[in-house]
Amino acid sequence: MPKLIIDQRSIEVPAGTKVIAAAEKLGIMIPRFCYHPGLGSFGACRMCAVKFLEGPVKGIEMSCMEDARDGMVVSTTDPEAMEFRQYVIEWLMMHHPLDCPVCDEGGHCLLQDETVSGGHGRRRYLGHKRTYHDQYLGVFVQHEMNRCIHCWRCRNFYQGFAGYRDYGAMQIGNRMYFGRYEDGPLESPFAGNIIDLCPTGVLTDKPCRFVGRRWDFERAPSLCLHCSLGCNTTGSARYRQMWRQEGRFNEMVNGYFICDRGRYGFAYESHPERPRRARVAGLEVAWAEAIQTAAEKLSQIAATAGPAAVACLGSARSSLETQATLQRFCRALGWSEPRYFSVPSQERQVKAAIARLEAPLAVSLREIETADFVLVVGADPVNEAPMLALALRQAWLKGGAVAVLDPRPVFLPFEFEHLPLAPGDLEAALEALTAGAGGTDLLAGGSPWPLLPKIAALGRRLTQTQRPVIVCGTGIVRESTPGLAADLVLRLREAGLNAGLFYLLPGANAFGAGLLSPAGEGLTPLMEDLETGAVKALMVVENDPFWDYPDRGRLVRALDKLELLVALDYLPSPTVQRADIVFPTLTLFERNHSSFVNQEGRLQLAPPVHLGGMPMAQISPEKHPPRTFLSHIPGGEPRTPGEILAELAAAMPAPVTLPGDDLWDWLSRKNPVFANIVSLFESPPGARLIPEAVPAGTFSPAAAPAAAERPPDYLELLLVDLIFGTEELASYSKHIQPAEEPPRLRMHPADAAKLRLSSGDRVALRLLGGTLEVDLQVAENMAPGVLVLPRHRQLNWRLAPDYRVMVAYGDIVKVEA
Amino acid sequence: MPEVNDPRRGRVNSLQVVARATAGLWHGFMMVLWHLGRRPITEQYPEYKRSLPERTRARIILTRDPDGEERCVACFLCSGVCPVSCISMAAGEREDGRRFAPWFRINFARCIYCGLCEEACPTLAIQLTPFYEFCEPDILTMVAEKKDLLVDHGGKNHDYNFYRFAGVAMVGDKGAHVDEAAPVDLKSNLP
Ligand code: SF4
Ligand code: SF4
Ligand code: SF4
Ligand code: SF4
Ligand code: FES
Repeated sequence: MPKLIIDQRSIEVPAGTKVIAAAEKLGIMIPRFCYHPGLGSFGACRMCAVKFLEGPVKGIEMSCMEDARDGMVVSTTDPEAMEFRQYVIEWLMMHHPLDCPVCDEGGHCLLQDETVSGGHGRRRYLGHKRTYHDQYLGVFVQHEMNRCIHCWRCRNFYQGFAGYRDYGAMQIGNRMYFGRYEDGPLESPFAGNIIDLCPTGVLTDKPCRFVGRRWDFERAPSLCLHCSLGCNTTGSARYRQMWRQEGRFNEMVNGYFICDRGRYGFAYESHPERPRRARVAGLEVAWAEAIQTAAEKLSQIAATAGPAAVACLGSARSSLETQATLQRFCRALGWSEPRYFSVPSQERQVKAAIARLEAPLAVSLREIETADFVLVVGADPVNEAPMLALALRQAWLKGGAVAVLDPRPVFLPFEFEHLPLAPGDLEAALEALTAGAGGTDLLAGGSPWPLLPKIAALGRRLTQTQRPVIVCGTGIVRESTPGLAADLVLRLREAGLNAGLFYLLPGANAFGAGLLSPAGEGLTPLMEDLETGAVKALMVVENDPFWDYPDRGRLVRALDKLELLVALDYLPSPTVQRADIVFPTLTLFERNHSSFVNQEGRLQLAPPVHLGGMPMAQISPEKHPPRTFLSHIPGGEPRTPGEILAELAAAMPAPVTLPGDDLWDWLSRKNPVFANIVSLFESPPGARLIPEAVPAGTFSPAAAPAAAERPPDYLELLLVDLIFGTEELASYSKHIQPAEEPPRLRMHPADAAKLRLSSGDRVALRLLGGTLEVDLQVAENMAPGVLVLPRHRQLNWRLAPDYRVMVAYGDIVKVEA
Repeated sequence: MPEVNDPRRGRVNSLQVVARATAGLWHGFMMVLWHLGRRPITEQYPEYKRSLPERTRARIILTRDPDGEERCVACFLCSGVCPVSCISMAAGEREDGRRFAPWFRINFARCIYCGLCEEACPTLAIQLTPFYEFCEPDILTMVAEKKDLLVDHGGKNHDYNFYRFAGVAMVGDKGAHVDEAAPVDLKSNLP
């Protein structure tokens, strides 16, 4: 570990640390533009000059380009270095258009800060300023190229870090331009990060355009709920409305960056139809009256039809506090355990995955970046967990290999091996691959796979790695696949490899829901209980079965049988619309602290960004704030589900007080993993709720791979995710909606040929619940025998009895225009 | 004159006290008598209203640029600098892309007329005027909205238009502003 002295203070840093980073550890911020800890050094801007007084380097050098080495004595305040930096900033400002008043970067602009730090105040250059035309870059990023200082950060992220090619540097020298070949939306779903990275106002946040200054925003650390990775964000709110999300550093999860779904999905929070008042039978009533009515009706049904006639449905998007309070509430009232998933297969998969995640196996998102071989099974990273795609790219950039076993036409922003296998073949392939070169015998007998040589080659490569990771999705795979993935990781570890395991789960807090879900198969699926009439009253807490239940007809028939439907939610969902009693709840941005557990079991905390209430723009028809003083927050009625449940319990005819002891104590008595919780001071990236030790000898060879299950002349329909348009919360966001691609059914050319269909055809898909019309796209890079249909907001896809159905050739017909 | 508690004062007897009081009374009466014969110098307000210098700091206006457009670009510098936080506004985008303040509010009951907002304003939009006569018994009438603040002239400066100097294409396209070169042609490699 080299030891050096910076500004008379000595520090020891790991080898390879740049001097600029070493100084930062001492709290000395050396001016910089091109250097960013997430991107590395480029030496493009010359702003970070310091003077090396002693040691292996002497004189003025760029602190971002020099590795810290023993014996270095560095001065950041040496007059020579300061003069150098003063000239640099003067040159950079020579062409600056001085439009800070109308620039959204103003107030948190690095160029403003460094101009002050460099001591530059007056423009001496008398020539004309360089100008550029701007480009339209889509709905997320605003371009104002005159402000560019040619630092290269945007290009280095866009092409280097993220691997997309449609935005970059053009022209030479002083005329250099950062943009696209022509106007058009940026293709990368990670493009929003260049807004955070650009040190000036060239690239600014379009949905937050002309909204406010950094100093006026209410800002707080927050979390992204739009997939199970749980990336860290910083939220900005003003006048009771969220306006912006930026990536926030978490060394174990997302690093510095987030995806555009996470960045712009937040606007469900200010949806104009969001429930803000308690409602009984469709009419807004006083809060106390709604509590009274709900308590009376619920207890009456429980009294006449028995406590089992009242069911509660929590969700995988609620905070752990909400999920746990719901369980405590049900227990205190003697009702049956709450359920958290409306789709039983989802629940089983989540529980199967969680049961197998153990501390030595589980890797974090950032640890994937150091893997030398990643095997992705049944997952489409860009569409299901976008930041995973960037982590995989970092692994690839470091020389690792990535193989994806998935039937979908998977795209990743780097070279990878795609094995488009049908879902039924995934397990066999996975087994064959991890069994090492010899294990391919498993397939040699029966299966005439054309992909076999590829699998064997990958298997051989796998045996030569040290740090392989298996990434296993839970969307389209068989229910046994998560367990098999864990078995195979154990097998690889027994073979001496330091193998890791990484699951993707359906929902930001699916892990929490899985931890709290009743063990085993003890409960009949909720839908059956509703259909048989065993459940007469249903309380839905921040869940919308209309969103994810695959069979809309069955759901409606089942809900019609209910005597009482109570909904607690912040979304204007169909469930809320048809509920008899509605209690509005708070989003994670408002008033309360909430915790979420991501897919690797990491417990993360989201403090409130603002106090909540109706956005100013929505209460004032005169377009300015009301001219009267109020003692309450308008539209501030929503509460946390925990508060609502406590009020309900107290209002019951035989009042029940929820146990007063601490929720976390209660949880840790229930499940020892909750005892892992430590303060964020002890573990800034968040504690992990997974068991520490692997019990010895748990490896059990998986059951023999199932034979192909698809009857001939049938296609397996896969209901899948897209980056925009299929995730529940983001689909309510007015910023995301314009970026959605129109939904398309995808099919292999071989199947299309058999059905005499081609790309662009409109096809009708006859399913059990009705017929669905959708445009067809024929895709080469997918498995034959499957139909890939996005669960898109604009598509009436909820016509199948399950997430996995077979569709006969005859049920796919072309619609003549 | 020494203070009452001043130790230097020493002790005084009652005779001295009486003498001093008498002298003081006499002095006051003489002063009144003297002023009775002089011409008054007090200006009677509101009967007499003195015209104040242009730069006197009182009621605030929002001015317009020479083209008749609202000067304010809702940059939040005035509200940021205001020591008593009496300015609030929202920023927005007009149909033509111009940045403006959909609403702009100054609480004159709180304003201390320090003039910092005017000094901070990069567009010369916000200006203090000599008009000071707007005290009201109802405090809410002191809260001025944009329509109360906006005037149809340029205030102390009739020529300045921020958009002629700033690089954004609003008044004139890229390259058409003061001291600007024509936009870089991306399709050409000629110097
Ligand atoms: S657009 Fe921004 S990030 Fe890109 S080179 Fe210019 S100043 Fe740097
Ligand atoms: S990867 Fe997932 S958690 Fe991260 S920002 Fe994107 S949607 Fe949010
Ligand atoms: S004059 Fe001073 S107190 Fe009044 S609005 Fe301007 S900055 Fe604020
Ligand atoms: S400083 Fe001037 S331009 Fe900026 S918001 Fe205030 S009045 Fe408007
Ligand atoms: S930060 Fe070192 S050269 Fe740009």
